Amino acid sequence: MKENTFVRRYGPIVLAGIVVGAAALLLTAAGNPKNMGFCIACFERDIAGALGLHGAGKVQYLRPEIPGIVLGAMLSALAFREFKARAGSCPASRFVVGLFVMIGALVFLGCPLRMVIRLGGGDLTAAAGLLGFLAGILAGVVFLKKGFSLGRAYPVKTGEGFALPAVMAGLLALLFLAPGLLKFSEEGPGSMRAFWLISLAAGLAVGFAAQRSRLCMAGGLRDAFLVRDFTLLAGFLAIWVTVTVGNLIIGSYSLSMLSQPVAHSQHLWSFLGMALCGWGSILLGGCPLRQLILAGEGNGDAAVTVLGMVAGAALAHNFGLAGNPDSVVDGVYKVGGIGTAGMIAVGIGFAVLLVVSLLHLPGKEEA
Amino acid sequence: MERRGPRCVVSFHTTAGAMAAERLCRREGLEGRLISVPRSVTSDCGLAWAAPPGLRELLERRFREAGIEAAGFHELTL
Repeated sequence: MKENTFVRRYGPIVLAGIVVGAAALLLTAAGNPKNMGFCIACFERDIAGALGLHGAGKVQYLRPEIPGIVLGAMLSALAFREFKARAGSCPASRFVVGLFVMIGALVFLGCPLRMVIRLGGGDLTAAAGLLGFLAGILAGVVFLKKGFSLGRAYPVKTGEGFALPAVMAGLLALLFLAPGLLKFSEEGPGSMRAFWLISLAAGLAVGFAAQRSRLCMAGGLRDAFLVRDFTLLAGFLAIWVTVTVGNLIIGSYSLSMLSQPVAHSQHLWSFLGMALCGWGSILLGGCPLRQLILAGEGNGDAAVTVLGMVAGAALAHNFGLAGNPDSVVDGVYKVGGIGTAGMIAVGIGFAVLLVVSLLHLPGKEEA
Repeated sequence: MERRGPRCVVSFHTTAGAMAAERLCRREGLEGRLISVPRSVTSDCGLAWAAPPGLRELLERRFREAGIEAAGFHELTL
């Protein structure tokens, strides 16, 4: 009975973590950038580039993984009668918070999922991001304890819930039927890509598994801090272990702080970028991956958040806010990171999150 | 470690709702604790209030009176 309970509780989430970790390894082996088999922030940034929303030539490709995740979650929700069209929970605030979550992630060079994947590849620079993510989540938890809420969502017409899945299906149609309308990187991370069918299948599998298990990087840590419940955190750890073991087996594990793929050594800004991402994720009720899953389940507020993140990616690259990876130029190791504009953007991001947090605390009569 | 047994699990539309329920129950000395909302209740990943099943009617009344909107009351074995 005890074993049954343990398996029922942790089985789906650990399985989802293994699926995500294995998908990341597979996608890397099939051509995606190293330590970037799966990254919601990077892939949404690449999609923004493919659509011409930013002009960074090295990060433009309509990654089928993102539509795959949304459509996988939608199929799972429909199959298990969990598709619920809902909306109305402060969509404008969610758009803005989503935008800064993306800027924070791109300052670090990865979403919380890629942070774990980077750690699983031995990238010690990601440890600063992990610490920042924890700090950001703790900041969010402080406001949750004070009663922060963006308000509840209400049922809306079913068609409204299909908005983002339909947009994603449209993006896939563009990729397959009218690729000439899209931009494709010829060098850099955007040029490194798995065959589209592998990417789409991996996205569908991850979307399905994450919907069934409620996998969420931010939710796992939030539950651990708030109610000492480690169920969701088990998924986070399962990804880490799967990617670590997989990289060790295929000889891709490199435990170091130097020359890590698409990573920089400005540790303070890695910390602050992920702190921004973590705090924003708590305010939104889930990490970037979770927003895609919720949008696939019919949540219009999550759909608006995803659009906010895509807008954030475009801003990050149009205004030079995103991090640049470390590189070796003429035999000299050059530390990357962000410039002054990125630092200012992170500062503005914290100010915006503070204002959103304070504005959505209960009044004295509600407390 | 609590023994497994029947519990009245109250789900909420927002995390803030669950936190408000916790504050109310603590203030009034009502037994229970915050938990991660069980997967069998919803695909959302918020918090829920788990209490002895005998408190269900009292909780329904007190939450209603306090303006705390519950999404549902569920009898589960936790």
